[in-house]
Amino acid sequence: MISTIAYGLTIGAILYIVSVGLSLTFGTMRIVNFAHGFIYTIGAYLLISLLPFTRENFFLSALIAVAAVIPISYVIERFIVRRLYGVSIDYAIIATYAVVLIGVDLIKWIWGATPLSLSDPIGKDISLPFVTLPLYRIVIILISILLAAALWLFFKKTVVGKIVVAALEDKDAVRSLGINVDRYFAYVFVLGSCLAALGGVLYSPITSVHPYMGSMILLISFAVVIVGGLGNLRGTFISAFVLGLVMAITGRYWGPAAETMVFVVMAVALIIKPIEV
Amino acid sequence: MRKGAGRTVLELGVIVAAFLLLSLIIGIYRTPDFIIFCIYVLGFNLLYGFMGRLSFGHMLYLGTGAYAVTLFTEHVSHNPFLAILAGVIAGAFIGVVLGPIIVRTTGACFALINLAFNQIGYFLVLVAFSKYTGGEDGMSTTFAKIGFMNFGKKPVIFGFALFCLLLTYYLLKKVTTSPFGLLIRSIKENETRVKFLGYNTFVYKWITFILSTSIAAFAGALAILNYGYVTPSFIDPTRNVEVIFATLIGGPGNLYGAIIGGVLYMVISNYLASYIPRWEMFLGIALLIVVFRFRKGVWGYVSDRLKLKAETA
Repeated sequence: MISTIAYGLTIGAILYIVSVGLSLTFGTMRIVNFAHGFIYTIGAYLLISLLPFTRENFFLSALIAVAAVIPISYVIERFIVRRLYGVSIDYAIIATYAVVLIGVDLIKWIWGATPLSLSDPIGKDISLPFVTLPLYRIVIILISILLAAALWLFFKKTVVGKIVVAALEDKDAVRSLGINVDRYFAYVFVLGSCLAALGGVLYSPITSVHPYMGSMILLISFAVVIVGGLGNLRGTFISAFVLGLVMAITGRYWGPAAETMVFVVMAVALIIKPIEV
Repeated sequence: MRKGAGRTVLELGVIVAAFLLLSLIIGIYRTPDFIIFCIYVLGFNLLYGFMGRLSFGHMLYLGTGAYAVTLFTEHVSHNPFLAILAGVIAGAFIGVVLGPIIVRTTGACFALINLAFNQIGYFLVLVAFSKYTGGEDGMSTTFAKIGFMNFGKKPVIFGFALFCLLLTYYLLKKVTTSPFGLLIRSIKENETRVKFLGYNTFVYKWITFILSTSIAAFAGALAILNYGYVTPSFIDPTRNVEVIFATLIGGPGNLYGAIIGGVLYMVISNYLASYIPRWEMFLGIALLIVVFRFRKGVWGYVSDRLKLKAETA
């Protein structure tokens, strides 16, 4: 049971990393960015391609892969998402979905459709009382907590962070202060995309890497955002770990139901607290 | 009033003529597929085109109809009409149950909650109830002969599907031109104002949602009548983009647009797809073009041109 909980915390950590970006873009721009799932996937694929060049140094490759996502996400923001701000949410959904279709097909073209797998980059186990866990999982959980702390500092202490938090609350008021909100949205978009890629990179040694790996995680992250509250960063943190645990515990008893259970929780959350936007 | 009725008859006649022509070109065996898909697009278009709610999980409702028909014929009766009725009732039922959760949301939430429920449905069919649904393999079924309505014969299916399309078209024509239709279009434009006028928008949205799910289930039921077997691909959430693309390319918010879009999508996916090596990329680029350059769709383009011609003449 303890290992199940540890597994749940690992999933929760990944979910947090992926969904915090989604929560930010969703909270500020009210746009569901389907491309978020594609960025998650491309991060993992870039990592695989970079490994031979860095002498199998996982963490260096991971860093480069996350950095390489910056131009990709900027292009998506500049040429597709930015042109749809305030036009229609539906078109933004469809356009980002179109990006996913194109991106997934590109991935299949370049890397092929067969799932690839990575070995554990650390490969050591750590012995705790009652249970032995792969060290890598502990590292993931620590990274996510560090990230949460860093984001907290970013949003509390820096000007950019404060503007974004204010825009989450009231976009028009911030704009009326003479601040170019759209530019900050672009920063948020790129930041969120980098986090998505980080999630994909960190999770790839645990699962297999395939072109459609992003679609399910996107849906689950969306459930995390709904349960945690739109644009609510603390809520996202808590709900990511809770839903991670839900997945792990369900998976322990009935494997195929793990992901579905997340949506059941989301439906219950929506019944209790409907979102009227 | 009489003039309106005459116009509707004319429109129905045009649809019949168009599909008869289509059946001459592509053969009567493939046409029912096209007609049934058009019914599905019409149902989706009611929700998206008229009420402005984009569902990214409409396959769930199609699949509900498909599986309800198959299970009904397996366990209750092989009568095709009762089976289709059961499918439509199942679609309406799922709309009644999920509606209160789903229709309160708009925009992105609406899209993704539908998708999440679609995912649950797919899981239920594929894994949880695989004992009853046949899981990944699906299952086949047969329909009894009722008089001359022998659904083993393709021309009969063609005629019946066309009749169903006309029925759906007529129903939606009535709905969308009624005060109810005006109200749901107002909800698309500005829901707050409609609420301010004293309407309980929740009820109207719920009814529209139920109508849309029922029509989707109707299309699913007819598809089983046509194929004779059901597989999880009828409820596969990754296929949701098909109906969205069809609606967009035809012209959302218009009944003719829905039919044109349905036929166009089927032509592209059935005939062009085998010549296009990277089909998903093609679909993605086509979607982007439609979103950025061609928002009104084919029907919007044509009707704009006709108006322009009428003005200059």
